[in-house]
Amino acid sequence: MPAPESLFWVAAVTVGIWLGIFFYCLGIERRLRQLEEEEGL
Amino acid sequence: MTKTKKLLLAALCVWFCLVIWGAFFYAPRAAGFKGESARIVFFHVPQAWVAVVAFCVNLVASLQYLRRRDLKDDVRAAASARLGLLFSVLATISGSLFAKVMWGSFWNWDPREVSIAILLLIYAAYFALRQAVADPERRGTLAAAYAILAFVTMPFLVFVVPRIYWSLHPDTIINVQGKIQMDSRMFQVLMGSVLGFTGLFWWLYSLETRLARLRLHRDQRGE
Repeated sequence: MPAPESLFWVAAVTVGIWLGIFFYCLGIERRLRQLEEEEGL
Repeated sequence: MTKTKKLLLAALCVWFCLVIWGAFFYAPRAAGFKGESARIVFFHVPQAWVAVVAFCVNLVASLQYLRRRDLKDDVRAAASARLGLLFSVLATISGSLFAKVMWGSFWNWDPREVSIAILLLIYAAYFALRQAVADPERRGTLAAAYAILAFVTMPFLVFVVPRIYWSLHPDTIINVQGKIQMDSRMFQVLMGSVLGFTGLFWWLYSLETRLARLRLHRDQRGE
């Protein structure tokens, strides 16, 4: 049985992974909008 | 980006943080599971769910392409199949981690494991087919016809086969008793996660289709 602290760290890493994915996608979103404006779409 | 979209994305970000918190600290430890292994279910099941949604979107877009012959529909079909494949791979990985903890091996030839492996091969072949045809209209037609055939196998592989044969997998939600056999807090977190993953799918799907349309636009201009 893992200690509560280890569960906390697993949750913290999961949040970190999620925030990484989220901000990476947000970067793509911004870049895409920029390209769409350049192309007149 | 519109204000509504900004708000929705901010809500998605917070929502997922809440789901993660719920999965680790709000949901109780599941009875009959080794250690904390059941907590992976809050991510594994929604990933499998999103893969099914993506393959449904792929079917609809493929049918629309065959009806309208608009390359934008083909772009939507390819984008959804790509995401379906991605989430199937994620579900397989998360499932094999659970299998290692619960049953001692990453792969146990369980009907569900075999079903998802076959489904992965079927949709991988969809992309092999797309790569093999250079002409966009011919590619769109062949891929759409194949996508319809591929979709026919999906409900059978995901929902029927695992219920015909004996499986290691727990049937806590869809089972022969027709009852949800899950703690209410666990069920709340699971449904929250399903909602969050569905939101993430629609965002990724929108990014994929916009990127593909941009490429299509550039190709049509002859760049």
